[in-house]
Amino acid sequence: MKRTIAFKTLGCRLNQYETEALASQFSRNEYDVVEFEKPADVYVVNACTVTNQSDQKTRTFVNHASKLKHKPMVVVMGCMSPEQQKIFSDNSAITYLIDNEKKSGVFQLIDAHFKGELVEKEQLTADRFNYELTDPLFHTRSFIKIQDGCDNFCTYCIIPMVRGMAVSRPVDEIMDNIRQAVSNGYKEIVITGVNISRYYYEDVHFEDLIEQILNMPEDFRLRISSMEPDELNDKFISLMSHPKFCPHLHLCIQSGSDRILIKMNRMYTMPTYLKLVEKIKQANPLFNLTTDIMVGFPGENGADFEETAKVAREVGFSHIHTFKYSKRTGTRADRMPEQVPEPVKSQRSEVIRKIAEENRIAYFHKLLGMEQTILVEKIKNGRAQGYGEYYVPVKFAASNNVKENDLIKVKLTGIEECEDAFMIGEVIGF
Amino acid sequence: MDLKEQTVTKVDFKVQEVRLLTPSTYVLRFNRNNLSFKAGQYIRVGIPGNRQRREYSIYSGENDDFMEILVKEVIEGDISKKLKRMKEGDSLIVEGPFGFFNLNPTDVPTRKFYFFASGTGISPFHSYVKSYPAMNYTLIHGIKFIEETYEKEHYEDKRYISCTSRDEKGDFSGRVTKIIPIYPFEDDALFYLCGNSDMVYDVYNLLADRGVSTDNIFTEVYF
Ligand SMILES: Cc1cc2nc3c(=O)[nH]c(=O)nc-3n(C[C@H](O)[C@H](O)[C@H](O)COP(=O)(O)OP(=O)(O)OC[C@H]3O[C@@H](n4cnc5c(N)ncnc54)[C@H](O)[C@@H]3O)c2cc1C
Ligand code: SF4
Repeated sequence: MKRTIAFKTLGCRLNQYETEALASQFSRNEYDVVEFEKPADVYVVNACTVTNQSDQKTRTFVNHASKLKHKPMVVVMGCMSPEQQKIFSDNSAITYLIDNEKKSGVFQLIDAHFKGELVEKEQLTADRFNYELTDPLFHTRSFIKIQDGCDNFCTYCIIPMVRGMAVSRPVDEIMDNIRQAVSNGYKEIVITGVNISRYYYEDVHFEDLIEQILNMPEDFRLRISSMEPDELNDKFISLMSHPKFCPHLHLCIQSGSDRILIKMNRMYTMPTYLKLVEKIKQANPLFNLTTDIMVGFPGENGADFEETAKVAREVGFSHIHTFKYSKRTGTRADRMPEQVPEPVKSQRSEVIRKIAEENRIAYFHKLLGMEQTILVEKIKNGRAQGYGEYYVPVKFAASNNVKENDLIKVKLTGIEECEDAFMIGEVIGF
Repeated sequence: MDLKEQTVTKVDFKVQEVRLLTPSTYVLRFNRNNLSFKAGQYIRVGIPGNRQRREYSIYSGENDDFMEILVKEVIEGDISKKLKRMKEGDSLIVEGPFGFFNLNPTDVPTRKFYFFASGTGISPFHSYVKSYPAMNYTLIHGIKFIEETYEKEHYEDKRYISCTSRDEKGDFSGRVTKIIPIYPFEDDALFYLCGNSDMVYDVYNLLADRGVSTDNIFTEVYF
């Protein structure tokens, strides 16, 4: 009989990627991956501790699984504060508690458990990159992890404490992983990690790695996931015109005020960020820039926030992931005075949300008439949807011969202005 | 797999000495324990049995056979008080080193450096000067009172400028920011700023206003 396994993932894209890679490995090995709410033999919670609230949520899911009457196996893995680890290690319903270093070995551990073999979690190799490829079941794009950890120590962030210092994956392994993904049918490769611009392995810097990837003979397009703006140099910018490079970057800004950036210990100032934006826009005026903005950081006053709002408008980010600063025990910002009241944070967050909405529509207008090659993610009611090179969501009428994971050429002909605005395309080729 | 793991948490650190420089500021010396670091980096220090860690720039030089940090006791604080009460032989927890507030070794013999520090923000500059004694620098130290010139004898007289904001006994009376518009900085010098965020922000802006390229300004913020 097939065993069933359910996953719950909290937190960032990297956690999501890691869960999906593990889930794929289970499903390739005769396990049924089911929803977390359904009965299962194993429940795996991939924990996150980025805010105090994430700790709470993690605990809620772990408690749910560990109180189930049929006494399933419960595995908790990922990012945990020392306090959280202590709570979980005292919970006898949790079968295994696994840190990020050993997370990639979860399949080995669980499978051996069911086969009656004895594998201690201490025997698992510590390897933050040893994940198998995700199944197209989860994504049309293949996420390739190139590094883990971060040593920037932004004052609001707990990640360096839980994911550890920056570690880069050997170039050869990355190349092999990409070759394998392409031969499995993936057409888009997404470079991912905690702080990817810090990639450095045996004298190969981030831009050198990207150059090598772009020059691979295999047929794919390359997308870079969220990144920090502090290590991007002219060589990287010159690579953006490569035909395989998707012209989109999620370049985290967090604040438009230098005073706040200094308090956050971000590694750039507004003039350097804007200089970078200018160079990118010079290379390609339509280049799609998206970002993260944090409102209500301790000490952020009205003038600081105005600067953020101004930059958000001026750069014209087509998407802004806005979040309200929330205290995280163990970070430097948690010990800072001048915490901003919650209603002020909400009001600032709303202002940024509105700017983001306006920016998005304005950006879509610039793309009207353009050709895009859409990687089809979903087809529903005769309508296909997916993203083009510029990473804007596009929907178009799909004939019967359009399938998921196809690359379809469309002309962008319209804009649907709704809560999740998207562009409308007309097929012009396969 | 040969992964470059940069972090170390070590427990075999033992206090060798607590050297009081003023009633509230002290140098904590402990054994080196093979910890390798670049001048300008910081470590996270803790006390066994206490989960709290605090960041401290390394005060000693790259080639010293001991480690030192320069700490100001914060009255309403926690760890800075506890570290002050440590005795010879007490254990410390040290994580690191971390940070990128370093010198580029190729710049050291060729460039002029300006260091702006507020209070204990002088610590990484002390480490630079101990590690590279021949470097060409001027250290501008913002303090409240003249008693806070922490071991100024470790710097050549002509290279150390104290700016006192609460008495008139410094080389310059007033905040470090006041010196910037009138000081004859060389155009191609490199500027390193370390200490509280208000000082770092103000000096950064004033230098940029004076036309200093922001590529030549480096910062480290304590609080
Ligand atoms: C990268 C880095 C390097 C640092 N290097 C040093 C160093 O070399 N020497 C040093 O003394 N401190 C340094 N600090 C500050 C240090 O980490 C602690 O914050 C400080 O010692 C107070 O710790 P605490 O536990 O006693 O008080 P906390 O409980 O942490 O702080 C209490 C309050 O005091 C404020 N505060 C922190 N430092 C000071 C200060 N020096 N003067 C006045 N108020 C302060 C904090 O913002 C907080 O509001 C550094 C900080 C960082 C981020
Ligand atoms: S760059 Fe800053 S926000 Fe991003 S993971 Fe590193 S410390 Fe956290």
